[in-house]
Amino acid sequence: MTDVCMYMQVHQPYRLRRYRVFDIGTGAPYWDDATNHGVLRRVADRCYVPTNTILAEQIRRSDGAFRVAMSCSGVLLEQLETGAPDVIDSFRDLVATGGVELLGETYYHSVTSLSNLDEFTTQVRAHTAMVERLFGVTPRVFRNTELLYHDGLAGQIAGMGFRGVLVEGADHILHGRTPNTVYAAVGDSGLRLLPRNYRLSDDVAFRFSQRSWNEWPLTADRYASWLAGVGAGSAHIFIDYETFGEHQWAETGIFDFIRHLPNECLRRGVRFVHPSQLAARDPTDTLGVPWATSWADTERDASAWLGNRLQQAAFNRLNRLYEPICATGDGVFLDSWRRLSTSDHLYYMSTKRLADAEVHSYFNPYANPYDAFVAYMNVLQDLEQRVDAVGAAVGARGRVVELVSAERAPTQPVTAAPMAAAAMAATEQPLVWPRKAKTQHATSGGAKGGDAKGRSADARSADTRSADGRGAEGRSARRRPAKRPSEA
Amino acid sequence: MFGWEFPPAQAGGLATATLGLVKGLLRSDVAVTLVVPFPMDAPTVPGLRLLSTAGEFRRARRGGASLWRAADDQLRVWRVPAPLHAYGGAAGGAAPDQVSVHYQPGSKTGVLADRSVTDVIPAANRGADVYGVNLMADVERFADVAALIAEEEPHDVIDTHDWITFGAGISAAAASGRPLVAHIHATEMDRSGEWINGAIAVREREGMHAAARVISTSSVLARRVTQVYDVLPDRIDIVPLGIDHREEPWSASRATNPFGTAPVVLFLGRVTHQKGPERFLEVARRVADFVPRAHFVVAGTGDLLPHIIERTVELGLAEQVHFTGALRGAEVKHAFGMADVCVMPSVSEPFGLVALESLRAGTPCIIPRDAGVAEVLRNAFKVESWDVEEMTDKIVAIIRYPELLAELRDRATAELLEERFGLELPARRTRAVYERVVRESAAPARDHAAHYN
Repeated sequence: MTDVCMYMQVHQPYRLRRYRVFDIGTGAPYWDDATNHGVLRRVADRCYVPTNTILAEQIRRSDGAFRVAMSCSGVLLEQLETGAPDVIDSFRDLVATGGVELLGETYYHSVTSLSNLDEFTTQVRAHTAMVERLFGVTPRVFRNTELLYHDGLAGQIAGMGFRGVLVEGADHILHGRTPNTVYAAVGDSGLRLLPRNYRLSDDVAFRFSQRSWNEWPLTADRYASWLAGVGAGSAHIFIDYETFGEHQWAETGIFDFIRHLPNECLRRGVRFVHPSQLAARDPTDTLGVPWATSWADTERDASAWLGNRLQQAAFNRLNRLYEPICATGDGVFLDSWRRLSTSDHLYYMSTKRLADAEVHSYFNPYANPYDAFVAYMNVLQDLEQRVDAVGAAVGARGRVVELVSAERAPTQPVTAAPMAAAAMAATEQPLVWPRKAKTQHATSGGAKGGDAKGRSADARSADTRSADGRGAEGRSARRRPAKRPSEA
Repeated sequence: MFGWEFPPAQAGGLATATLGLVKGLLRSDVAVTLVVPFPMDAPTVPGLRLLSTAGEFRRARRGGASLWRAADDQLRVWRVPAPLHAYGGAAGGAAPDQVSVHYQPGSKTGVLADRSVTDVIPAANRGADVYGVNLMADVERFADVAALIAEEEPHDVIDTHDWITFGAGISAAAASGRPLVAHIHATEMDRSGEWINGAIAVREREGMHAAARVISTSSVLARRVTQVYDVLPDRIDIVPLGIDHREEPWSASRATNPFGTAPVVLFLGRVTHQKGPERFLEVARRVADFVPRAHFVVAGTGDLLPHIIERTVELGLAEQVHFTGALRGAEVKHAFGMADVCVMPSVSEPFGLVALESLRAGTPCIIPRDAGVAEVLRNAFKVESWDVEEMTDKIVAIIRYPELLAELRDRATAELLEERFGLELPARRTRAVYERVVRESAAPARDHAAHYN
C-alpha cells in the first residue's frame, strides 16, 4: 500500500522595474507594480482559482481521503491581499475543507538561509504569523525556498517548532537509497526529512505535455498506477502550483488529470497523507545533506542563485547592506532589503546553459541575465545611498570609524570559480555555510565602514564634476580592481 | 562568385563577410573563382592569408583583368580594374552612396587603396558623383567584364553579393547559363534610411528576382527583403555569418590601454547615418556624467565625421572622445583590445559582424535588439538602439562592476566557439543552397575537363 504526499509551492515575487542608472537617487520606485499585478492576475485566473476549486471539490467528494500540502510565500499572500483579495478567499475556502496542510517557509521566499540565520528565522516567523492570521493554522512542517536545505539548518528549523522538512531527493544525498520513505536529519534535532521523488514529480511538472516523451499523453489512470507501483512507502510529489494551468496549459488536459487523479489513486488503494503525518513516523535511516541541496536546475544545489560572479557580487552586496539598514531602524529600508532577498532576483541572473535557461525564463521580466544584474545593482546602489544618508544623519559615523580601526579584516565574499557551480557547492561550500556566513556578516561591517569613510572625499570630488551631485563614480572606482581583469 | 575588395581592409563589412564565406567554402571542398573589382594592377596581394596553405598565386593576364590563382586551382581570383569601393576602398570608409564612390579613369597608383579617397579626390568633385553617371557606368562595365569571364571560367553556380555586383551576376548567368544565387548583406534601406537611391533599389530588386535563390544573413534582413522587394520567403535561405575559429583568438593579445586604468568605450564602424555615430556621442555625454574619467573612441571614417567632430566639441567631450580614422589589421585588434565595451548604436544592422569580432577580441558588446546578430548571439546586451539611456545604463554597469565585465567576456568568448559561429557551418549551408539550385536548374552540366584542356 502506497502513501502519496502531494505538495505544491505557491509563490510570485515582487519584480523590479527596469531600474536604470538614471533612476538612482531620484526616488523612483523599485517595484514594477503593473507587471507584478498583471502576472498575479493572470496566474490567479489561469491556475490558482481553477485549481483551488478542483482540489476543494475533490477533497469534499472523497470525504477528506484526498489531501494535499501547500506553501504560499508571504510575498505572494501579501500581493494577493492588496491586489486580488478574491484569490485569498479562494485559498481560504480550500483550506477550510480541512484537506490542505499549510507549510512554513520564509516570508520573502529568500535565500537568507545561506547567509544570515537570524534574518532567516525572522522571515520564517513572519511567515508563520501571516499564515496564522489568514488561515488560522500553524505550520508544523517546513519547506525552505526551492527546497534549499543542508545539515546545518536542522537545529535552526527544529528550534522554530517544525517537525519535518521537505528536501530534494537528489541522487547525491540518497546514494542509491529510496526517496519514498521518511528519513531523520543528521544530529539530535529530531527533525524528519521527506525527500522529493523527482522522477515522479517531474513527470507531471515538466513532462506532462511533452509530446516527445514516450509516455505522452499521461493520464490520471496511468499515473495512479505508477504511484501504486511504489509499493510500501510514501511517494513525495512536490511541484510548483503553477504547473496547473500555467506551466502546463489548460489545453494539455492538466485539469482533467488532477480532477481524476484522486479517485484513480483511491481506487487502487493509494492513500493520500499530509507531510505532518509522515513526519510523525519513525525514520528509516539518517539522511546527511552536507551541502546546500535544492530542487533547482540539474545541479540540484545552490548554483541556480549563486553559480556565477554576477549572482555572487549581487548577493554579497545585498548582505553587506543588512547591518547598516538594521542600524537605521527604518522599516521601509528593511522591507525593501527583504524583498530584494527574494531568490527570484538572483535566479534571473543565472547564465547556465540553455536547458535550464528556459526554466529560468519563466515569469522572468528580463531578456537576459545581464539586464537582471544591472537593474538589481542599480537598485542596491540607490538603497545603499539612501541608507548612507540616513546613517550619517543619526551619527553612525563614529561607530563606523571604530569598526574600521578595530578590525581591518578583509571581507569574505562568496566567491567561486565560474562554470563550476557544482564544484563550488561541493568544495567551497563553507562560503555559503551558516557559520562562515556569520563571520562574513560580522566583518562586512568593517568593509562597509571603509567604503563609507572613503566615500565622503570621493563624493565631494565627484560633486564638483557633475551638477546633480550623483557622485556615483567615486564609489564604483573603488570596486573596480586596480588592475583590469585581463592584465591580472 | 562576384565579391568585393579582396582581401578586406577593415573590420566587419561586406568584404570581411565575403572572405569568411570563401574561406569556409574552400574548407568545404568548393572551388571558388572570385571576381572582384580592383582599383589598381598591384603586383602582389598583400595579407591574403588564404594563400599560405594554397601556395603561390600564379599570375596570368587576360585582357584588362588579371587572374590570380592558387597552385591547386581551388581558389582563383579575377581582379577587374575598376575602382569601385563598397564602403570606400579606403579602410573604414564611407558608404557607397557617399564620398568615396568615385571612378577615376586611368588611376594606376596604389594610393587609393591605402588612404581615404577624400584625400585623393579634390573636394569640389566630392558629392558630385554620388550615385552619379560614373558609378553606374562602372557597374555596367564590371558586368560586361563579368560576362566575358563567365564564358571563360568553368563553374556550376554563380554567387553574387549585394546590389553592386548583382548586375555582374545577372550578365554572367546569361553568358554561362548557370543558376544565380543572390547573397544579400544589406539593402539600400538599411544603408540610407529614408534617403534611398532609386537606381540602387532597382538593382537590388532585379538581382534578387533574377536569382534562383536568395541568401540572407539574418531573418530581420530576409523579412525586409520580402516586404520591400516582394521576394517570397520560400525563396530565401538564412545563413548567418561566422568568424574563423582557426584564427588565434584576438583576446590572447589584449592591448594596453593608452588611458591607463580609465575605462574605454568603443564605436567601431563607418561614421555614417546607418551606424548611428550621433547616438554614440549622446551616450558618451551621459556616461561621462556618471564616469567622468571614461574615454570614448570613434574608430572609422565616413561622411558624418566632420559633423561628429563638431558635435563632440559642442557636447564638451573634446578631451574624452578620440578619433582614430580608419583602422586596418592589427589596429582593429588594438582598438577592440583596449576597450572595456564596444557599442553598436546602429540605425540598421542587417547582421553586424563587428559584434562577433569584438567578442573575439574579448570585448563585450552592446548590440541593437533588432540587429541580425542579435538573433544568434546570447551573451550580449541587446538594446533598442535609439534608447541612449538604456545604452548608458549598460555601459555604466559594465564599467562599475568588474564581475559583469568578466562574466560577459567569458560567456561570450565561450559562446563564440560554438560551431554555429565558425566559418564551416555557414559554408556547408551555403553549399547546400548551391547544390539545390544546380539540381533544380535545367541546364546540363558543363564538361570542366574539356574546358581546361
